[in-house]
Order: sequence, then C-alpha cells, then structure tokens
Amino acid sequence: MVNSMVQTPKGKEGDTLAPKTLEAALASLAQEGAIPYAGGTDLMVAEDERRPFLFLHNIAELQGFSEDDEYYRLGAGLTYTRIMNDKRMPALLVEAASQIAAPAIRNAGTIGGNIANASPKADSALVLVATDSLVRLVSAAGERVIPIGQFLVGRQKTTRRPDELLVEILMPKRWLADYRFTKVGGRKALAISRVSFAGLFAAESGVIQHLALAFGAVEDTIVRRPQIDGLLIGKSVEEARALSEEWLAAWDAAITPLRGRVSARYRKQVCLNLAAAFLKSRLESTD
Amino acid sequence: MHKISTSVIKKDHAAKMGGSAYYVGDYPSKGVLHSSFIRSPHAHARIRKVHYPALPPGYFSVDYRDITGENSVHVVLDDLPVFAQEEVFYIGDAIGMIVGPDAETTAELAAACEVSYEELPAILDINDAETAFFDYHYGRGDTERAFSEADHVFEEDFETGYQEQAYLEPQGMIAQVENDVLTVRGSLQCPYYVHRATAKATGLPTERIRIVQEVTGGGFGGKEAYPSLLAAQLGVAALKAKGQAVRCIFGRREDMEFTSKRHPSRCHYRVAVKEGRVTAMEIDVRFNSGAFTTLSPVVLQRGIIASPGVYNVENLQVRGRALRTHTVPNGAYRGFGAPQTFFAVELMMDHIAASLGQDPLEFKRANLAKQGDATSTSGRYHFPVPLPEMIERVLAASDYANKRAAYAAPQDSLYRKGIGLSLWFHGAGFTGAGERDLIKAVVALEKNAAGQVEILTANTDMGQGVKTTFSKIVAHELGIPYEDIIIHNPDTSRVPDSGPTAASRSLMVVGELLRRAAIRLKEEWCEGQPQRIEEHYTHPDYLVPFNLETFSGDAYPTFAWGVGVVELGFDTLTGANEVLGSWSCFDIGTLADEAIAVGQMEGGVLQGLGYSSMEQMAIDGRGRIRNNSYSDYLIPTSVDVPQLEVQMHVCEYPGGPYGAKGAGELPLVGIPAAFIAAAEQALGVRGINHIPLTAEETLDYLSGSQHGKDKESVR
Repeated sequence: MVNSMVQTPKGKEGDTLAPKTLEAALASLAQEGAIPYAGGTDLMVAEDERRPFLFLHNIAELQGFSEDDEYYRLGAGLTYTRIMNDKRMPALLVEAASQIAAPAIRNAGTIGGNIANASPKADSALVLVATDSLVRLVSAAGERVIPIGQFLVGRQKTTRRPDELLVEILMPKRWLADYRFTKVGGRKALAISRVSFAGLFAAESGVIQHLALAFGAVEDTIVRRPQIDGLLIGKSVEEARALSEEWLAAWDAAITPLRGRVSARYRKQVCLNLAAAFLKSRLESTD
Repeated sequence: MHKISTSVIKKDHAAKMGGSAYYVGDYPSKGVLHSSFIRSPHAHARIRKVHYPALPPGYFSVDYRDITGENSVHVVLDDLPVFAQEEVFYIGDAIGMIVGPDAETTAELAAACEVSYEELPAILDINDAETAFFDYHYGRGDTERAFSEADHVFEEDFETGYQEQAYLEPQGMIAQVENDVLTVRGSLQCPYYVHRATAKATGLPTERIRIVQEVTGGGFGGKEAYPSLLAAQLGVAALKAKGQAVRCIFGRREDMEFTSKRHPSRCHYRVAVKEGRVTAMEIDVRFNSGAFTTLSPVVLQRGIIASPGVYNVENLQVRGRALRTHTVPNGAYRGFGAPQTFFAVELMMDHIAASLGQDPLEFKRANLAKQGDATSTSGRYHFPVPLPEMIERVLAASDYANKRAAYAAPQDSLYRKGIGLSLWFHGAGFTGAGERDLIKAVVALEKNAAGQVEILTANTDMGQGVKTTFSKIVAHELGIPYEDIIIHNPDTSRVPDSGPTAASRSLMVVGELLRRAAIRLKEEWCEGQPQRIEEHYTHPDYLVPFNLETFSGDAYPTFAWGVGVVELGFDTLTGANEVLGSWSCFDIGTLADEAIAVGQMEGGVLQGLGYSSMEQMAIDGRGRIRNNSYSDYLIPTSVDVPQLEVQMHVCEYPGGPYGAKGAGELPLVGIPAAFIAAAEQALGVRGINHIPLTAEETLDYLSGSQHGKDKESVR
C-alpha cells in the first residue's frame, strides 16, 4: 500500500532505471553509475534533475523484515511508516521514526535512504549508531557487512562504492530493552534535529553491563565513543557514581559541536545535560 | 446567536477543495514572457555602472530608464522607487529585470548582469539609526506631576523581532497590454492600491489600467502594499513587451527575503503607580521601518495609539518613531503595529504587579478602562468594555487560578510549567478619519433579469471568507437564497472602489454598506428588471473628530476585545518549550459566520504563538536575511498546539452589519504577552522582555546567566 504512494518523477515501472529485482538494479548500477533513489525525500529537494536516478521502490528484496537470535534485519527500502506500523520492530527505532518529519514524508522516506544520505542529523541513523548496527552492502561482484560507523564517515560521505547498494541493516537485539531517545527540533513536526540523543543502558545485579550513547546533529558525523562509555561498563552503581564526573568530562572533551541554526555552545550544553540526566536516572533505577 | 451567524458552505469551498481554484501561477506559462530581477547584493551602495550581457532575440531588459510615468511607488509617501536609479538601499533592492520567453534563460541573464557598486555605510540596527522617517508625539494630562507624586516608578525595555506572513501562495502577477489597456492580474489584497501605483509608474490614464485579483492563497497583510511595487515593475515591463504577457511568480526564497515583514520593535516604558493605580505612562516606541517608508506611518500610528493597552491612564506621554535602516522595507502583518506595543504594555503591567506583590490579573483589573472613559487619544470608549466578563470565561476554561497558584510553587523537576494571561483590544477599521477622508468607500449591487444579485466591491477574499460573509448579508436582507448571490474576484474595470482589504474593516465597513444597499434594493425591487444600487460610506456621527497632528479624538469607531491565556511546559535539559494549552475569548461583535469567525480566531492565536516562540528571523552582519526558507523559518504545525480553545463573546456594535465589528487581526495581537508571562512563571524569572524566546536563551535563563537582564539579540 505504502509503495503505491511513492512518487516517481523520472522513470516509470518497467523502465530500466526502475528495476523490479535487486539483480537488475545492481546490473544497471554497475553500468550506469546512477544515483540510488529510495523515497527521494532528500534527493527531491536537492533540485538536481539532470542526474540519472535508479528508482528502488519496486524491489521487493529491499522491503523485507526478519529477525534471528542476534539481529533484527531490516530491508533498506522500508519506509518510516512501515517501521512505525509493524509491531515486531524495536521500540527505540519506532520512537525515532515517528518523530521524523510528517506523515507524507514518512510514507516515502526509507531507513536506507536516511543512512545513505549521510546526514549527521538523520534520526534513524542515530539509533543505528547507538545500537552498533551493521549494514549489508551488495554489488554485482559480491557483498560485505560492515559496522555502520565504518559506513558513515562524514557529512554526505559514506564508504559505499558507486556499484554497491545498501540492502539491509542488521540491528543487534541484545541491549535494546532500556533506552532513551530525545530529538530536539525547532518544533514538534517537520523539524530537522538541532541535537539528537540516543542512549542504551543495561545492568545486572547492580553492575553495569552496557552503556552506549550517541549524539546527532552536533558534528559532521554522529558521535559515538565506546571507549568513554566503557569507563563505566563492569562497574557497580557506586563506582559508576564516583566515576560519573570523569565520564561526563570525557564526553565534554569528545564533542566538538558545529554552529548552525543553533550555537555550538547550546549544542554542547544539551548533549551534556542529556547524557548526565540519562546516566543519573539509570543509576537511580538500578539502586 | 444571531441568525446570520449560522455557518454556510463557503462560496470558494468547492473550487478550493476540488482543486479548480485558479491562482495566478496556474495561468499557462508557455507563450508568455518570464522575468527575473537584478537585485542589489549590498545593503547600501552607489550604482556606478550596469552592464547587461548580450541579450538573445526576444529578450530585453527593464530598468528605471523604461519608466514612462514616475519612478515612485504610490503607497503613502511614495519614496520607494520602482527601480533603483543611482543608489541601492537594501539587499534585494531591484535595479532591473530581464524579460524573455524562457524562465531559466532570464534567470541566467539576470545573474550575468554586471553591476559595479561603490559600497556605502549601511545601518542595520535601529539603535544605530540616524533618520526617523516619522517621529510622533502625543499625550494628555500632566505626567511630570504624576511621576513626582507617584508611590512607585517602574522602567523597562521590550523588544520584538521580525515576523514573516508565510502565506501559502507566494507573490505573483501577470501584466499585459490588451486593446490599449494594461491589465495586471495577481495575488493581492487591495486592487485599487495596485491600480493607483500602476497608474503613477506607467503614466497611463486610470481608464487604461485594469487590475484583477486572482484567487489569493493568503495575505495576512503581506499582499497589502508589496503588490503595488511588483505591479509597477511588471506594468513598466508589459508596456515594453508590446502586447505580450509578462509573468513574475516569486519562488519562496525570493519572497521571504525581499518582501515586507512585521516591523521589529524596541519599546521603553516608564510607569507611575500611586495607591495601586497606574497614574502615568511615558512610552517610547521605535519601529524598524527598513529602507523606505511604505506603510510604516500607519503601522506606527496604530502601534502608539495602542501602547497604553486596555487601561485608563490619565497622564500619558507617547513618542513613536519609525527609523530608517538599510534592510527590506517592513509593512503590514495582521495586527499592524499593535502586537509590538501590546506585548510591551501587558508584560509591563505583569512586572509592576509582581514588584508590588500583587496578582497580575488583579492589578490589571483594577486599572481597566470602562465605557465612557477616555481612550489614549482622548476619544471615548463609546461602547461597553466587556473584558471583565470575558476574563471570567477564560479563567473558567483554562483553570487559570489553580494552575497559576500551583506553578508559583518552587519547581525543581526536569519539566516545568507556567501559565500567563493578557488583555487587549484591536481598533476596528482604519486609524483616524481615513474612511471619511481617504477611502470614501462605494459598493454596488447588480440584479439581473433572473433575480440573481451580484456583489460589486473591491474587497478580496484571501481565505478569510469575505465572499461568503458579504453574500450572506445581501441574501439575508433581500430574502433570497444565498446561492442566488454572485460574487467574483474584484476586477477594477467592474467594481467600484470600496477600499482596501485591510485593517479589519471589510466586514464592518463594507459589509454594512452592502447591508444598506440590499435594503434599498429590496425596497426598489422590480421583478424581472435588471437593477443597480450604489451605496456610499457615511461617517458615524458620534465620533470625536480625530486629529492626526495632535493624535486626539476617536482613533477608531469601536474596538474588538481579546483575553488570552497560554500554558507552557519547558524541558529543562533542552530548553525546548511546548504549548500545553491556549484559551482565549474574543469579542468581534456579532459573528457574520460562526465557522469562519472561530477559524479566524484560531489561526490568529496560532500565528501569535509562532511569533512568540519559533518564528525567528535574523539578518547577518551584512544585512542579509538568512532565514529565507521554511527549513530555516519555522512556523507552527498542527502538532505544535494540541489544545487551542476559543470562545466568542458578542457585544454588538451598532455601526456594523447586525452588530459585527473588526475581527481579522484581533486574535494575534495579545498572545505574545501571555506566552512570555507563562515562560517567566515556568522559568522562575522576570524580564524576558523579548520575542521570540529561543530554546537556547531558555537554558541560559534556567542556569541563571540571563537572570533579570536585557538581552541584545534580534534587530
């Protein structure tokens, strides 16, 4: 249903540039050097109509969802609306997806497009970074699965080769039970994030098993520093409290925000506020 | 409820909902000439030389040398040129246009024009302004004595920012000479303003100019004066195009960056209080006029007349200036100068009450004007001031007293709440004697042989519903079906000049003329015969004559009234705020149509909330407006106001149709003060004397780094 709503400004069904199979898409990608076009919600506003686009909305292989013991496996062509409406989806991802843009854009925009556009403000990408998700890239020559941190390397920069397609996202299931997602926009809908935050926490018998923070919209890429959060992993609540200032100071030193619609100072302060409040609330609930 | 208030299907409903409504941008763009502007990239510069690139066949340039009339746009003082001649005065000031058959080519050619400039010093901030285009003074009583005898004297400064009208449809027009008549079609509010401006710029006799309003997708004041400039420019181009149509439809960025906005303001208030009563106010109002005067004198007049608020202030001294800067000329936006001063006076009253240890509402109530009291300009409140009853209704709906008390207790959670209230009026219709001396409105009704009646006025429907309300009035008086009333978009070759669609006047003034015309038509009705009835404006006889030199007399025939409560929540980690609820009560007299009236009130409140919070527009160090897109200039979405409740209080005005009075602008005017009052309570600070309030500043207030001091921010 949702797919039928996708706009196709160039190329139509049956067109070589609107293939129905992944195989055909990869073949034309290898030859034509086209720009993969999923929901088009970023590409449409780029106002560059001269580039050849490879429309992906007809490819069933990109729409799948499955899970195994270790991973949720999301087709890169899943729209935010599909993610929000599928009860099997992880709650953290649903929460982020539901705060993206507005219904019309969520009907068209895809999780794969959100990542591949490589904006540091991408809300679903933030969740994938915080959860240490993997991405599966496929080309006519073969495929590779890499951590998302190795895929997103800069503003509008990924390590995707021109002949590759982002096909699937593998989201680890292990640490998803206790999370917080906060998006700071200029308003409640149709808002580009000014700061975004995702945090995961797990403790057992008073000992921290997992802590993972990620910050969006502050630097050229989404910020995730496992070594900083690692300061507290394996520590008791007491120990973590004692170390929390050091941990926060490390985050303070690690984040170098850019100024944009809001100042760098504001971005830094919100990041630290959200980090400190998240840890504090989790330590309290672990007590 | 009066019978007239029962809602009907709007006259423009089917066309708009069905998609057949034809906007100026819908006219075929093939076979017409496109135009692209050459605009100044400097805030202030002398033009040394303009070098046009070689133009392909069919392309031509238009600049001041092509003006066949005067290089002056008729608004009020006419200082705005059609095209810059020797000097440019703001970024975007138009030097000329490239006109031709292909839009991309005209844009490329315009970009290829080489203009050499000598940059001149630019004044971007009103604090640095040297020229006051207008400097008004008025007052009454003996303020010096009142201050010397006061128990307390309070002094504060206030600041408001730009606001962009953000109509859905950008500015656009098509001009063409057909059969010796220059026809201009476009998205506009005031056909006869455009008519006069086009005549002045082209030098054509008025009978050879025809202005047609096309379906207009929102105006909010933004299409009151600016279309006069665009029509003058396109009219000159059309004369050179020798019969071909010339089209100009702005893109959003061009529209947001180079067309008029609400005047940023700075106000200084000094207030004397004796025995719990305000005894005197000294008020200094400064508006950023931008580079030219355009509508600034009238915006400023309304702003300073409203500056003492809804209170009876016996001793008053007011100064108001519209200052020249090298920025885009500012103009009309719903409220027209009043939102700026009501923001200041309402917060001023809140702060005085707090300093005196009183409840703000009680303090305001004790100082309210009432029927028979003098207005700020020594006219009279001729009709009841219904604020006390309206306050009660809003208090009940919002649970204000309980919330205000609850939020006054220290708040230490991560989420804080506050609630604020403000009171205001909006003078209905034109300021002063404009209706009698300048506008002299005329309306006509034309009946055909079949008994259908056509309404002929110059008033435009831009979504606010005048086609519907006018038709209801005429149908009601004639006792014929609403469906038998014909009303088209105004065309100056057919409609008399019933004045501009502005100042919340259309329904009250023009609607009343139509009512009287309909009564006469009914008396003179001849079955099966075509008939025409004209009706001319008559000035209410109870008014104290208004003198603009001394600002004395009745500035308005009556007032519409507003009470607003805003409840806010703040996230202390991010500084973000959300509107938890907004409850208002409005008196616009009898509702000409309930659904239209309530819709107008809700929309105006939402614009007021946006103005207070997210609608932030700033210029950079060179004078360039940076937020020229909807990604950067945010307006509220439907998700941003979960609860928005309006109530209507009907206090009939005998001079309007069935008791109706000015409505359109009222709801926006007082909302910002209620918003900031709520913010001050939630954040536990006093002196957030500016809008918009950003999340960034909110965090500073929470950390105490901005406590109680004024902030230098938007211009």
